[in-house]
Amino acid sequence: MNVIIAGAGSVGRYMAGQLQDSGHDVTLIDNDTKVVSQGRATRTPIGVTWHLGDACEVATLTAVGAAEADVVAAVTGDDEDNLVVSLLSKQEFAVPRVVARVNNPKNEWMFNDMWGVDVSVSTPHLLTGLVEEAVTVGSFVRLLSLEGGKARLAEVTLAAGSPAIAKELTDLGLPRESTVVAVLRDGHVVVPRGDTVLHQGDEVLVLVSGGVEDDVRRALVG
Amino acid sequence: MHVIVVGCGRVGSEVALSLASNEHDVIVIDRRAEAFRRLGEDFKGNTMVGVGFDRDVLTEAGITPDCAVAAVTSGDNSNILIARVARETFGVKHVVARIYDPRRASIYERLGIATVASVAWTSARVLRHLLAEEATPDWIDPSAKFTIIERRVPAAGAGMTVGDVEAGSSGRVVVLGRFGEASLPVPSVLLQEDDVLHVVIPADNGDQLDAVLHHKEESH
Amino acid sequence: MSILRRKHHDDQAATPLKQPNSIPICDTQPRQKVCVCGKVIRMTARPTSGQPALAISISDDTGTVTAVWTGRREIGGVTLGRRIAIEGVPVKHGDHLEFTNPDYTLLPR
Repeated sequence: MNVIIAGAGSVGRYMAGQLQDSGHDVTLIDNDTKVVSQGRATRTPIGVTWHLGDACEVATLTAVGAAEADVVAAVTGDDEDNLVVSLLSKQEFAVPRVVARVNNPKNEWMFNDMWGVDVSVSTPHLLTGLVEEAVTVGSFVRLLSLEGGKARLAEVTLAAGSPAIAKELTDLGLPRESTVVAVLRDGHVVVPRGDTVLHQGDEVLVLVSGGVEDDVRRALVG
Repeated sequence: MHVIVVGCGRVGSEVALSLASNEHDVIVIDRRAEAFRRLGEDFKGNTMVGVGFDRDVLTEAGITPDCAVAAVTSGDNSNILIARVARETFGVKHVVARIYDPRRASIYERLGIATVASVAWTSARVLRHLLAEEATPDWIDPSAKFTIIERRVPAAGAGMTVGDVEAGSSGRVVVLGRFGEASLPVPSVLLQEDDVLHVVIPADNGDQLDAVLHHKEESH
Repeated sequence: MSILRRKHHDDQAATPLKQPNSIPICDTQPRQKVCVCGKVIRMTARPTSGQPALAISISDDTGTVTAVWTGRREIGGVTLGRRIAIEGVPVKHGDHLEFTNPDYTLLPR
């Protein structure tokens, strides 16, 4: 895939490295001369194409080939910039998938199709989620917000008292608006099927849409 | 009219002072409290420290569909955020955004937001967009017989031709601005909502021009 | 009369207003900047996440495309049956093409 990342802070550089390692073509844009020249000089992340410029300008996005990009990720430390990059990517270049980082959770409500955002990731929410995950097995942790909050990826690590243990997925009584997308067990990914039986300690990743979060929580957490 | 001015730089403070001295109910929002020093001691309006696209801040500033909002911070991106939130979330009709980069203006005009390029930016222009009241002419000829005035085409005026406007106002449309680009229109050009017209008219025909533009019927 | 008409036509070509070469709707490709002309055959208010949006479908003899303007409930002059030109970069949505906040030009009937 052809991926453009706007913002070469730690988040952008990390993503670029990971994606490049997975065989994708990654271009990193930043308007800080120092950051870009250092990135070019040290060749880190390896293989990434650097571009010096303001990603909020159509000319910059044109120059890095946004017209052919499969994904644009707007991950600067500035929510305004991320929204404008997203809007331009969608409106001017019809980029199929636009991912944006929310820095201030207060702004999360704007990260939706009004600004061309397909998927938003709130770093503070994610971090809070991960901390919660570390300290509390058995709670419902929101990881990702999709389609402007209409759908969420959440994770539950099944505690000893979970009503889901030893049940098949079809018997959990999960609402139709939710789907178990993966079960992580002993470091492996179990592709969930209707007859998959859940164990204590399983990390269940579930996609929840609409207002059924409470029902999912009840089925998995109790 | 209640007017919210976001950004208290040179333009923002000038607009706020001018509005307040004309008995408008003004509140100025800026991220930095120091910025309000520009308003001086005698400023009659209110000030508020906060981020202009924050819904809570705008609500506290008394935003309603009938008020006017000027997004005049020093950042294009902030201004466009403020303008969209005011217009789309709060339904404010009179919104204007200051955009420094003219290449961006055309993109934002498509969203239906009035932008004014910074070169052309004067507080008089902001006031005109905000208050949508009888505009001061851009130019008057020495004999005071003709004036050039600027008008933004209302929804009701969309679909009529430049020729209709000229016939109805006894004037000439000299420049037409659309999506941030200007052109010299011929009489057959169809007007669209939010087109900006510069019209030469006999000095007394301002009302006639407005009547034509607000006329609901299309011409055929 | 014919001279007058030609004069008029030339004038229109001379205006710098955008009157780009349009292509049949069936030739529209995703992610290519194009201009298409057609009649408005459907208008839908499509609020998303509590914000307004206006979706219109335009059709010529060869096909139909959709244009969506976010944040708007209506656009003056854009009504059912109106001929309109749309210029922008469409994205594929299922089996049809959709423009986001495109440029538009009202056309004579």
